[in-house]
Amino acid sequence: MGAPRTTNTEIPLPPRPRPGVNRIAAWSALVVLLTAAIWSVAALEINVASMVRSLDNAANFFSRMFPLDFPPLGELLVMTGQTLAIVIVATVLAVVLSLPVSIFAAANTTSGPVMRGVARTIIVVCRAVPDLIFAIVLFRIFGLGAFPGILALGLHSIGMIGKLYADAIEQMDGGPAEAVRSAGGTRVQWITSTVIPQVMPQLIATALHRFDINLRTSVLLGYVGLGGLGLELANALRTMQYQRGIALALIILLLCIAVEMLSGVIRATLLGRVSTDRSGLLGFIDRIAAGWVTAPRGGSEPQRTRHGTMRIAPQWDSERIRRFAGVALTIAVVALATVYADMDFSTLFDDLLALPQVLGMFLPPSPQDLLDVLVEAMLVTIQIGLAATLLGLVLAVPIGIFAARNVAPSVGVANLFRTIIVIIRGLPELILAIVFIVITGLGPVPGTLALAIGSVGLLGKLIADSLEETDVRVQDAVRATGATGIQVFFAATLRQTAPQIIAHVLYQLDVNIRSATLLGIVGAGGIGFFLINASRVQEFDVVAFIIAMVIVTVLAVEAVAVWTRRVLS
Amino acid sequence: MTAAAAHKTIPELGTIRFENVTKKFGSITALDNVSVEFAANKINVLLGLSGSGKSTMLRHINGLNKPSTGDVWTLGTPVRSASPTTLRALRNNVGMIFQQFHLVESMSVLENVCTGKLGSLRGPRFGLWSYPRYVRENAMEQLARVGLADKAFQRAGTLSGGQQQRAAIARALIQRPTVLLADEPVASLDPLSSAGVIELLAQISREENLTVICSLHQVQIALEFADRIVGLNAGRVVLDRPAAGLTHNDVDGIYAPVPVDERVKIAV
Repeated sequence: MGAPRTTNTEIPLPPRPRPGVNRIAAWSALVVLLTAAIWSVAALEINVASMVRSLDNAANFFSRMFPLDFPPLGELLVMTGQTLAIVIVATVLAVVLSLPVSIFAAANTTSGPVMRGVARTIIVVCRAVPDLIFAIVLFRIFGLGAFPGILALGLHSIGMIGKLYADAIEQMDGGPAEAVRSAGGTRVQWITSTVIPQVMPQLIATALHRFDINLRTSVLLGYVGLGGLGLELANALRTMQYQRGIALALIILLLCIAVEMLSGVIRATLLGRVSTDRSGLLGFIDRIAAGWVTAPRGGSEPQRTRHGTMRIAPQWDSERIRRFAGVALTIAVVALATVYADMDFSTLFDDLLALPQVLGMFLPPSPQDLLDVLVEAMLVTIQIGLAATLLGLVLAVPIGIFAARNVAPSVGVANLFRTIIVIIRGLPELILAIVFIVITGLGPVPGTLALAIGSVGLLGKLIADSLEETDVRVQDAVRATGATGIQVFFAATLRQTAPQIIAHVLYQLDVNIRSATLLGIVGAGGIGFFLINASRVQEFDVVAFIIAMVIVTVLAVEAVAVWTRRVLS
Repeated sequence: MTAAAAHKTIPELGTIRFENVTKKFGSITALDNVSVEFAANKINVLLGLSGSGKSTMLRHINGLNKPSTGDVWTLGTPVRSASPTTLRALRNNVGMIFQQFHLVESMSVLENVCTGKLGSLRGPRFGLWSYPRYVRENAMEQLARVGLADKAFQRAGTLSGGQQQRAAIARALIQRPTVLLADEPVASLDPLSSAGVIELLAQISREENLTVICSLHQVQIALEFADRIVGLNAGRVVLDRPAAGLTHNDVDGIYAPVPVDERVKIAV
């Protein structure tokens, strides 16, 4: 540590604390990642010149794109219905499976360290195995159809839903649970009576969020044979029917935006405050409902109904009607979706009997004679993830800054940029990738660009949110010293939020490397291309080898990201 | 200890007895060889500084905490060795209220009260409809008793602090307990609500002949409310006397080894 440093006036300064080994390692990791990302951008030849070169392609493509060829309305509705049914059933399945897993995974509701370990492992594995891989394996086991596709979406969703549910349970107030315990309630009783009701809004919000994501993924799974809009899109593009393909892409885009907006509204209603002041029709209903009660006169008499019996149910006021309608509608939609998804269980038993044999085809994993090629493709995938995150960050920082209300020049500007972010978030990466493939040709460049734009949506939002959450008093204090707006931004706002922004970027890298493995299947470069090929020609030992490579990579990236975030936060 | 001797030490029903109870959380000793008996049908108040062991003592009575050494006898049951089934039956007879009320704020007041009955119901419950009719009626009656019947169908989170504590009392009463534990029941309330809640507790305790053990911060309230006062300091019992005739000076000793300014704050 050495002697205390001194200033010119000989006032000794306290020795500067030496940064810990972990911090140095974490910062080094960040520098390495940044260097690797810059190198990736260069290696993938993402630059303005190569884009200009492909402009001809683009012009050529746009001329073949029009007029758009929409399928007949009836057919379109059938396809859309099929897609929505599959996604609804898959999301419900994921919620049903995630709830018990998360209860065992959360520290305050688990039954013991062993079960907690098992549950945590299930969550990590489900998250690490991309839905596409679940789909390839499950389609091989059960044959093509809605059921294996739903299972694939559902299983992978456990990785996110289970984790978020467990987090919500751990953050919940444990008081009510203790009250029920002290009244003699069993573990199952206090979980159902206090834990679930407390986290219910988060449970539903997470499910809706996952519904958005599963909708996008279900389109991607069309490339491996899952029915619905995705399958039609994949078929159209495979047979070079661009007029049909782009028309379908447009419909998928609109559907994604519509679903995202709808789930946003539902989430806002759930998490927002319930207004007790009602007017109009709601007020009218409430006045009628109140008329059915004869004795809400003071608190010391039990409430009674008109017939004089004790009231043990709330009156049918607008609140109860709305809640009832919401539950009834949800049940109806899920039931309808379950029927419409057209799951075929007739061969389930035979399929399960053949399971050992099918799994045997995947063993032992082997690259055959493709080891060099596969390793290189995996590297390209990592490069795509790194480059996309860097490019996304470069674009997301200014957008995020202008979208933060406390930093943007005016509220109007902030709202404008918030809207831009919402629109970008609505764009499915798959559709972006397809458009970029058409413009720049097959290869890693379109994949990188698609993921970069996708990153702008999420990173921009996260950056804006963290900026808005900064402590404004610090900014006021700096402003009071006479600092300019820009000085305030760097010295107070950005300084406060830098650790969070780094955490968000690492999270995005994690997400992008997962997505990069998938986008390869549409020809956007990387390992995904080889995965889908090996699966098509039934070389399941190669499929297994690629799966193993992807999982190891994803887990390694996640481990680095989680560790760095923890050290720096 | 022989079987006959063990039998002899069983206290009469209704009483609560601590026998040489020591409780350690890691290196911290929360209770230090505490032996004390609380008589049936009396209001007992625990006084002491934060961290003196009041909460830990209460939580030993219904087995939320188990002693490191020694044992606690509650209503004739040795808590330390009680099986989960025995403990469940015991807790069903012991109501408890808390400083932070511990209601599920998003649930209706009525449903919150119903959860108090879980100790004698089988199986999981979710939603008001999952409780038997008699439980819901009983819950409404208990709410009327604490003066909250008109709030039965509101979300618990919309009630004021004092009202939430009344709802929590109703949740304890639906158990038809013989013992009521109250852990700082008015520490989160303003003086007016505090007075109302204490008055309600006192009234119900007398009506139901409850054995009450209540921890408090306010000496004045304790002197008015209690039949008996037990003072705790650093996990030891330092005072154990009937409340009648006790003065502030007598009680001050409980807070002895603390700096003067701190003591003033508590007395005030």
